[in-house]
Amino acid sequence: MKASERRECWGLLLMDFKTYVDQACRAAEEFVNIYYETMDKRRRALIRLYLDKATLIWNGNVVTGLEALNNFFEMLPSSEFQVNMLDCQPVHEQATQAQTTVLVVTSGTVKFDGNKQHFFNQTFLLTAQSTPNNTVWKIASDCFRFQDWASS
Amino acid sequence: MHKLYDLSSRQSLEVQRLRFDPASVTFGVEMVPNPGNDMAASLQIHGENMPKLLPWNLSNTKPCQLAGLSTTMQNASNIKNLNLASNEVKSAGKLDKGQGLEPEEMSADRNSLCTTFPDKSTNISSILELFPKLLSLDSQESRPPTNFGIEAHKRLPTCKGSFFESDALKSLVLQFLRRYYLTYDSGDRQGLLGAYLDKACFSLSIPFNPEDPAPSSLCEYVKDNRNIKKLKDPHLRLQLLKSTKHDIVRSLCVLPATQHDFSSFVVDQWLQTERVLCFSVNGVFKEVVGKSQSSVRAFTRTFIAIPASSSSLCILNDQLFVRDAHPKETHSGLFIPVPTPASSSVPTLSQEQQEMVQAFSTQSGMNLQWSQKCLHDSHWDYTKAAQVLALLKAQCKIPEEALTQTDPGS
Repeated sequence: MKASERRECWGLLLMDFKTYVDQACRAAEEFVNIYYETMDKRRRALIRLYLDKATLIWNGNVVTGLEALNNFFEMLPSSEFQVNMLDCQPVHEQATQAQTTVLVVTSGTVKFDGNKQHFFNQTFLLTAQSTPNNTVWKIASDCFRFQDWASS
Repeated sequence: MHKLYDLSSRQSLEVQRLRFDPASVTFGVEMVPNPGNDMAASLQIHGENMPKLLPWNLSNTKPCQLAGLSTTMQNASNIKNLNLASNEVKSAGKLDKGQGLEPEEMSADRNSLCTTFPDKSTNISSILELFPKLLSLDSQESRPPTNFGIEAHKRLPTCKGSFFESDALKSLVLQFLRRYYLTYDSGDRQGLLGAYLDKACFSLSIPFNPEDPAPSSLCEYVKDNRNIKKLKDPHLRLQLLKSTKHDIVRSLCVLPATQHDFSSFVVDQWLQTERVLCFSVNGVFKEVVGKSQSSVRAFTRTFIAIPASSSSLCILNDQLFVRDAHPKETHSGLFIPVPTPASSSVPTLSQEQQEMVQAFSTQSGMNLQWSQKCLHDSHWDYTKAAQVLALLKAQCKIPEEALTQTDPGS
């Protein structure tokens, strides 16, 4: 193991882990509120929350890139999400090339117009994009699945 | 002074003509100036007076408040054709679903439906929402609403099974999961230490049901439940996130003993970079509680892993979500656990049983190990075992490793 790699591994220790976790939780909470509200009420603004090369796996269907995502969300009927569970973890910089990354996991119910209500699970990988004034979190990956997808 | 119009014999009604008629109409259509806005008019219709199949033409009128319509439209179900073309109609966002206004044909082209909707497709969807029986919009057929719901041009994509970016990644992930759950279900989870990086993270969560906030099932998972939507204490939030591999394995060892149904696994491999591989596994498992009735749980487990060698992965992040299985998830025909290596505890078979296994394997195409498992689970009733297998095949639930002739544990 090279010295630089060793340093990378320990880098997280030098940063206060408690603060790191705290930051991740706050980011996750805020992000999740914005995401589902945008999905339900301002659907056309939803793609602004995604990185250019983001990928969505939606019930096994893969959607890559902003244009495809845009078409996808336009095609999806209007939605009413209710999130009942949220968990998040900081992702070690070993995996992310020093870009602050958070794993976010949600669960709840969703009703798409014209369809029955479903329980869902969703996983996001969020990446921080920092500007001098603030930090903006964007979705690098999104994985969504109905719990009863097989009988949908 | 009201003018009376006899509309019973008319085929169409052109509101514009009436609009400019200062006299208000009490029979059929009444135009009432909207208070505070000379340009707008509310249209009130006394439905019981409306003749049948009345095309109702509002085109080229001055702005008309559609918002007023639904509340004033009573018994307007006779109206089959509604022409709003070239109208400026305001406040559609606040429209109630037409109480009785259910035209079958509508013209809304060039209609800036309302200032809150910026584009035509949203216009269309809002119109379609309001008028669910619409068969034709701007002379284009809309889908029959009974089949596809209200937003006729929107639909959910077909749901599919597991997603992998490539066959190679699929092999890698499935192999990882086999090894992982082999140890996880073995009764001793200490062996999982090698699966995690030193500074890996693990947390667990269970659903929160607002209607049943303190359910008695899943009680074994409650103490570790890290649902930060409900859990606000930063100290607890930190404590419930296990962040060394020893803490992680310690936590895992305390969770109920399990038997995962490998054939139920649906995997979404959602990210791969040169540094990291991310995937989420959905499936069911039984909690093994001695010989008593075991509970079936469903789970979604998300792994962020890094390559440890050319053929193995090491876990960086592990998030486990456990819930009760829905009824449809609990009656899988055969609960196929992770395949155990041939050398582990296998009961000695009688000559007859050995012959059954051989025959079953030859006839089904499954390897000997799986054939034995199938027969064992069907209490060595050959016919029953074959039936169960046929059922699983029909449900596409036979895992690949059941068909390979090599030792699945390798």
